[in-house]
Amino acid sequence: MSARKDRVGLGWRPDLAASILEYLDSIDLLEVIADDFFDGSRRERRALKTLSSQIPVVLHGVGLGLAGCESVQTKILDKMARLFDEVRPEFWSEHLAFVRAGGFEIGHLAAPPRTAQNVEAAAENLCRATSVVGSKPLMENIATLLDPPGSTLSEPAWVSAILEAVDCNSLLDLHNVYANALNHGYDAREFLKEIPISRVCAIHIAGGQLISAPDGTTRLLDDHLHDVPDPVFDLLEEIAARSPHPLTVILERDGAYPPMSQLLAQIQRARLCLERGRARHTASKARVA
Amino acid sequence: MSASAFEAFLARIYVDSNARARFEADPFAEASHAGLSPEECAAIMKIDWVGLKLATRSFAKKRHAKALSTRPSLRARAQDFLHGMLGFLR
Repeated sequence: MSARKDRVGLGWRPDLAASILEYLDSIDLLEVIADDFFDGSRRERRALKTLSSQIPVVLHGVGLGLAGCESVQTKILDKMARLFDEVRPEFWSEHLAFVRAGGFEIGHLAAPPRTAQNVEAAAENLCRATSVVGSKPLMENIATLLDPPGSTLSEPAWVSAILEAVDCNSLLDLHNVYANALNHGYDAREFLKEIPISRVCAIHIAGGQLISAPDGTTRLLDDHLHDVPDPVFDLLEEIAARSPHPLTVILERDGAYPPMSQLLAQIQRARLCLERGRARHTASKARVA
Repeated sequence: MSASAFEAFLARIYVDSNARARFEADPFAEASHAGLSPEECAAIMKIDWVGLKLATRSFAKKRHAKALSTRPSLRARAQDFLHGMLGFLR
């Protein structure tokens, strides 16, 4: 195990910039949405570079659609490569999603049908992205209100197959696991047992809200506009109890911003969950010895 | 047919409200008209209709928000063009 420790950071958002800079000492790292800077001015990109000299920065892409069957667009990949070169982040990440197909831009992350053919196509896209950017991305599981039709693989089997196919690590979004478990009727803890824990290097935590469906049921929307719910913190402790690696945890918040103290309290709570999980990990290893 | 054609069909019904309305009215006809195989038509007819409604609403909101927020400045576009030209010349 490396000497690096678990860390907890925050997603960089322009609305939070002043508060983040004021409390930089309480945040271990920042995750920046890469796509926001693809067409940024020279001044904006210089500011990002300056930021990365003050605090560790990681880049997070949302528009490549690497898990789609269509080849990833060269133009966007080149923009990611250029930004990666300029910022030199610790790592970059993207989603196990498709965002466009057949000339239609979905505008958000959508789950492709989980099939062996899709695994092959996603692996090809990931290899190409790695070659162009010069670094392997961490791949993130997404939240879905709609389980993709035509799927022949379970979500954990599909995620594992792609990660294994390209020897790639995972950014595990625990709120997405929690939301999908609620929306599609499975146990989030079982999901965690079925994915390769040794590949989990980074974690997203966030909050969402229950929305009413036309049939009178409710589903959990992963909107990043609410505080992290208790079950997501429980899942974080569970991962920390099992993971052999230091973990990088990022709190995501995309709007309805609370006072910074409320975000820092969630960062602190994540640190405590990691500590509790690590203590369990140590205790279980001692029992085995 | 292929996985990419199936994804393209999904993308179309997520984005194009007319195609979605036709699909809701007669799923088999719309899917087979798009060239999906009988197996693929059978698979897509098992779609979670409630999930489809909620997901397409959420996608539409995201597209709307993105359209409002992402207008690159003239300067950024000019820089992008210059960078592309330099890359080409190299």
